[in-house]
Amino acid sequence: MTAISGTAIGKRAAAASSRTMLLAAFFVVEVAALGIFVPGWLTVDGLLDTSRIFIESGLLALGMTFVIITGGIDLSVASLLALVSVVIGFSHQAGLPLPVAMVLGIGTGVGCGLLNGAIVAYLGLHPLVVTLATMALFRGGAYVISNAAAYSEYPAWFTTIGGFYIGEVLPAQLPVFAVLCVLAWMILEKTPFGRRVYGLGENEQAVRFSGINVAHLKLKVYGLMGLLAALASIIETSRISTSRANMALGLELPVIAAVVLGGTKVTGGSGTIAGTLLGLLILSYLQDGLQFAGISSDWGLFITGALLVLGVLVNENAGRNRG
Amino acid sequence: MTALDVAAARSGRRRQWAARPEFAPLAFLILLAAVLAVTTPAFLAVDNLVSIVAQVAVVGTVALACNTVILAGEIDVSTGSLLAACSLVFGAVANSVGGVMLPALAAIAAGAVVGCANGLLVTVGRIPSIIATLGTLLMLRGIMLVKAAVGVISLPDASRALGLDFQLGVPVPVLILFGVYLAAELFMRNTTLGRDVMAIGSNGRAARFIGLPIGRVKLLCFTLTGMSCGLAAGVFFGQIGQLQATAATGFELRVIAAVVLGGTSITGGRGSVVAPVLGAILVGVILNALTLNAVPETFEQFILGLLILVAISLDAIRHRVAARRA
Amino acid sequence: MGQVLTSGSIDGPRPVTSESTRPDQGLEPTLGAVPVHPSAAAGQDSRVLCHMRGVGKRFSGVWACRGIDLTVLAGEVHAVIGENGAGKSTLMKLLHGVHAPEEGTIEIDGRALTFGSPRDAEAAGVAMIPQELDLFPDLSVCENLYVGRQRPRTRFGVFDWAAMRREARAVFAKLGIEIDVRAPVRSLSSASAQMVEIARALIRDARVVLMDEPTAALSQQEADRLFAIVRDLCARGVGVVYITHRLEEVFENADRVTVMRDGARVHTGPSRDLTTHSLVQMMVGRPLQKFFHRTARSPGAVALKVEGLTRRGAFEDVSFELRKGEIIGLAGLIGAGRSELAQAIFGIAAADSGTIAVDGRPVSIKNAATALGHGIAYLPEERRSQGLHLNFSSPWNIGFGNLGGLTRFGWVSPAQERRTANQYQSMFSIRGDMNKPVGGLSGGNQQKVLLSKLLFQKPDIIMLDEPTRGVDVGARAEIYRIIDELANAGKAILMISSELNEVLSMADRILVMYRGRLNGPYEGPDFSAQEIGFATAGVRVDGTEARP
Repeated sequence: MTAISGTAIGKRAAAASSRTMLLAAFFVVEVAALGIFVPGWLTVDGLLDTSRIFIESGLLALGMTFVIITGGIDLSVASLLALVSVVIGFSHQAGLPLPVAMVLGIGTGVGCGLLNGAIVAYLGLHPLVVTLATMALFRGGAYVISNAAAYSEYPAWFTTIGGFYIGEVLPAQLPVFAVLCVLAWMILEKTPFGRRVYGLGENEQAVRFSGINVAHLKLKVYGLMGLLAALASIIETSRISTSRANMALGLELPVIAAVVLGGTKVTGGSGTIAGTLLGLLILSYLQDGLQFAGISSDWGLFITGALLVLGVLVNENAGRNRG
Repeated sequence: MTALDVAAARSGRRRQWAARPEFAPLAFLILLAAVLAVTTPAFLAVDNLVSIVAQVAVVGTVALACNTVILAGEIDVSTGSLLAACSLVFGAVANSVGGVMLPALAAIAAGAVVGCANGLLVTVGRIPSIIATLGTLLMLRGIMLVKAAVGVISLPDASRALGLDFQLGVPVPVLILFGVYLAAELFMRNTTLGRDVMAIGSNGRAARFIGLPIGRVKLLCFTLTGMSCGLAAGVFFGQIGQLQATAATGFELRVIAAVVLGGTSITGGRGSVVAPVLGAILVGVILNALTLNAVPETFEQFILGLLILVAISLDAIRHRVAARRA
Repeated sequence: MGQVLTSGSIDGPRPVTSESTRPDQGLEPTLGAVPVHPSAAAGQDSRVLCHMRGVGKRFSGVWACRGIDLTVLAGEVHAVIGENGAGKSTLMKLLHGVHAPEEGTIEIDGRALTFGSPRDAEAAGVAMIPQELDLFPDLSVCENLYVGRQRPRTRFGVFDWAAMRREARAVFAKLGIEIDVRAPVRSLSSASAQMVEIARALIRDARVVLMDEPTAALSQQEADRLFAIVRDLCARGVGVVYITHRLEEVFENADRVTVMRDGARVHTGPSRDLTTHSLVQMMVGRPLQKFFHRTARSPGAVALKVEGLTRRGAFEDVSFELRKGEIIGLAGLIGAGRSELAQAIFGIAAADSGTIAVDGRPVSIKNAATALGHGIAYLPEERRSQGLHLNFSSPWNIGFGNLGGLTRFGWVSPAQERRTANQYQSMFSIRGDMNKPVGGLSGGNQQKVLLSKLLFQKPDIIMLDEPTRGVDVGARAEIYRIIDELANAGKAILMISSELNEVLSMADRILVMYRGRLNGPYEGPDFSAQEIGFATAGVRVDGTEARP
């Protein structure tokens, strides 16, 4: 992250990178503490295996980072995940070849993301309200299509996407996720599109005066969110080899929590992929470690919430002193 | 001002009414009711109408308080977990002491504490309200899950009065909703703090300039929302009888939907006290219509989402057109 | 010149009618601000409401105004005039407690006050009617009058809305205005909203009312109405201080005039002793001299041709031609419609009708992207909100307007970004750490970064909106040099400026916009400063109105 200070995003970058270091340190301490106090938890197998669970929310978090940096929010992602899964499952049931069904699913994801973006961009409605409505719409669509039934007649090749281990230990989706993380980081930090995403969140009017089409930009960001929701959906569907309408219920909130814990400001204009990734890892491994120790996994939600509030409290007030 | 202006103002009285925030949802509700009255005879039965209101009473009660938070320019997404947590408190007290009064007071007190904490995080901690209340939402749900790991909690029949009883032939939930609505009207119309809520949401900069107590007002709004969750918990638990740890998941979004559907702007300042009741009843009527017409349950959410989306989009288009004309 | 000016409506004495509308008795008790001294209307010897002594205020080390002595008398209309940046607004903000003075004292009724906040100023009886009205748009007119005040209650303890509406109606009745006090302020015209601000000042028993360009957004009838009310206020013993750019208003309405220039008070005196001529001279300084000696230029072919461009409520039937290698100065008052015109050409807010042609070909400009595609660039007036991303560095900002120019194979090239930034840094001598957020740079350096951003868009037609606003003297000279060089390099430049000196020195031709309509062009290089100064105020040198 410090490398980019040559091209200089300035104070925000410095603050963001010091925050990223803080999160990284926290993560290391957390893993070490769990390793010491929870015997048998800290193994390579265990660490890698846990990634199977958080990669799905991780994909959503990547897209959510873009959305929140623009100053928006998307509450509909978990519903969209379920909708895409159901579209794939039930179009397959209806006789569509699975690859075609998957393409249809991805199209659904992108289309629904664009729908969110179009309403936000062209009607000027607040993204919170729009995605609150589409949250019900997409989830409802999943119920309508599936008729509240589950579909799990997936061929073996499909289920290996989410259940295959490379060399017995490395979940197949982990390298995929790693590549997507790097890609998201590069897009955000190194491309004109990423620059515009930051610019939009910090000062929308200046973006317009810079000759950039703000509506198209928002469409792209929400469309990207939809695409990532579709990918997450395919991986989750494959992992549990089931499609049903109540998949990923309530997942949008932990996703937003990971992004915000990672240092992305809800008011837009700042945030990093590295931060989001660390936020995700901290929350996921804490939950995993506690569960392994026999402490109810339900504490996970409490801890997620507490870390979220504490993290933002520290962030806001540290930022205030500096500014 | 000019003669023309005055004439326009007079003849525009009707148009002014149409510009009120609650106009569109009310018109939509009346239209919907009219259509239903013709197509679905069972709809107009008094029992049916009363039961619709009773079903949305919990959402409406909390939404009435949450409305003040949104009007002041903030948001509270913690109400789902808070309702469940307050229900847990209600149940615990009811199971040890019995009755309705004490459990209700305990639940309201618990709600007030959490609401106040939300308010302090926002005003003193300067955390964006969506983050602060999201954190509370997750924390409370976590506590619920841990606490309720023992299983399902049920309520003694005597303590279910708030959810099931009738007074003067009207279900208690409806009376509570009505009472809270009256209290909200009184607060928003007849107290200085209530008027300040609207002013702060409408123009925060000017409010600071004039020296309105912005922090105190927001703190109060969050605390009231917490208390409303405590009050609604008695009704909620009474209606369902058994409480699971996952109870009222997603409730917070139904609350916000009721507020927004009723015509209050999510960015604050613009809206009305009655908006959340209108919004909640609108949702109740839609769901009722689907049930009466034997629409499969699986269509409920889809149709609800679609209607909300169409409603807010039409309203936005209406405002755009109006702005262009002006 | 002088003889021409001595007759007619411009510099004549203040109309006697306003004298006669000032009864010394008959104060309404509800509005009764102060008992009026018998000689309140007489002017000079009436009671001093407010006295500023040697007041000064700095912004980041530069004095915005200094050594200001000013009195406000009960029952007077006191106009404050001066060019942009002369320190008028700062003076008003000091009086209204938005800023605390660093030097000097402010006295109200002989008691020294150190205002901590506008609330304290309001408590002392000072009310401000800002240029951009600060009302609560979603609340009713009546409600707006009562926000932050004690509301009456009925004997049942609830708010007495009927009484509040009554009182509100009474206030408006006294102002001679019919207004629906239940209507939300959002639904009012800007003139009516301004009346609400005035009513708010009245209901608070304000004794000194400050108005910042109150007529900028008003039609002639509305402005007349406003001044009738202002005179009525004065009759009640209120002292009114108002900033204006419209010189004719000064003679028609003000009792006394204070002229400001470069942060200092140049003159205070009765308006009847002044002429438009003497006012303009005091405002711009004497003798009027060119402070930048531009090089001789020979303009080429027409680059931009605008015909009959109209946007309702902003500008009307605007036509002009802009040539390559030429600078056209667009002068006028704030609110005359100059920025709106430039933004229409730039595609930010399209015109309703009219045509735009670039290099002789008619073009359709839907948004800023298409404008840039035709080689048209625009330096926005609001540097901080429209121009820059303050939290990002200078190179980031420079590149943002033309990211394609930094992109190699789809990626933003850091090397190219650095090279570009370095190139502009040395060209403009931008001082300060380029890697720090641009918001931390001085105004002059920020403006240079914004100019770099504009030039990096490689435009042929450049529209500059107040290019030196908030820029210190040293940086100004550099910016002028750059603009001059750009014109010599064949760029077509339209420069909007409210500073007459700047336009006179830089432009080959000058257009003047007054209330949405263009006058001119005035051909250079030897402009008549007076002629153009008058045109911005909507009058001709011979004293007739420039436009019906």
